[in-house]
Amino acid sequence: MAAFEELVARHRDRVYARAYSMMRNEEEAVDLSQEAWVKGWQRLRQFHSQSSFGTWMTRIIINLCLDQLRKHKRQRAESIEAMDEESGGVERQMPVVSVNPTAGLERGELRQRIDQALGQLSYEHRMSLVLHEFEDMEYKEIASTMGCSIGTVMSRLFYARRKLAVLLSDLKNRDSV
Amino acid sequence: MDYNAQLKLQALLDGELPEDEASEVAKWVAQDREAAALLEELRNTRGALAGFGAEVRLPESRQFFWSKVEREIQRLETPAPKPARESYLAMVRRFLVPASAVAAVVIAGLMLNRSAGPSGLTVAAEIESALADSGAFTYRDYSAGTTLVWLSYPADNEAAEIDEMGTFE
Repeated sequence: MAAFEELVARHRDRVYARAYSMMRNEEEAVDLSQEAWVKGWQRLRQFHSQSSFGTWMTRIIINLCLDQLRKHKRQRAESIEAMDEESGGVERQMPVVSVNPTAGLERGELRQRIDQALGQLSYEHRMSLVLHEFEDMEYKEIASTMGCSIGTVMSRLFYARRKLAVLLSDLKNRDSV
Repeated sequence: MDYNAQLKLQALLDGELPEDEASEVAKWVAQDREAAALLEELRNTRGALAGFGAEVRLPESRQFFWSKVEREIQRLETPAPKPARESYLAMVRRFLVPASAVAAVVIAGLMLNRSAGPSGLTVAAEIESALADSGAFTYRDYSAGTTLVWLSYPADNEAAEIDEMGTFE
């Protein structure tokens, strides 16, 4: 148990960060992190060092978050798929953000803005971005994790990036006024 | 620029294009300002996100968080208390209670039948006709414990024989 405690201490921030980036809710992210560590302990025998322990734990938290987000989605009357279809194509019409909206920002400020912008994305778009940018997953892996096609992953990722660029640009413009 | 072309730009940035296609797209970007601007925007967004996850810290102390995890692990690993084993006496009692109830019902039924009469009929009275002598009738009232026998004299068959011989007066 002492060795496991050490593993928790070493990887707890990474596991929490992933939960938080997906859930956008501190309390929920803490609870899910705790659940992930309990699951990690229960499945410890299934860990065969094919990946690093941190990566293995991250997969556990990602799956827990996905399950939780699916539950949220079922509870919502409006289908996100329908929203996606409605918004489909919007990103194609967005003007290109020519100036880097995060240039010259301090780390704290940058983090705050990204945090704000990520919170405005739908969970499917945010998930695609998080899995690709933070977990370095390939399109194929994201598709398998999220249970959708590679084409859908590409569309979601493209929309998420373009929307994020616009949101960051808006935040920059608002601050400079 | 069509949507597929835009997605190809993104795939180029993500290193998801096969080598030959990647070089084709790279050539196109070099010649197309709009494509180059979009690729730059995608690259900037990607750059902004780099290292973002590493900034986030669990808002609970090491000891506090571990104590919660440990407690939950221990709770799940503690086997649920088994229900106390039933004593022999309780098991016998559990069997005897319904058995004695059934026995009581059966006994009550038998007693009722006996009081209703030997044939088991619930009617309180019956009439019998003796086969040997059709002129004799027996009436039994079980509820009153009374038996009455009618004897007609002469018997009906004897009366017929007398008639054949002549009326006896």
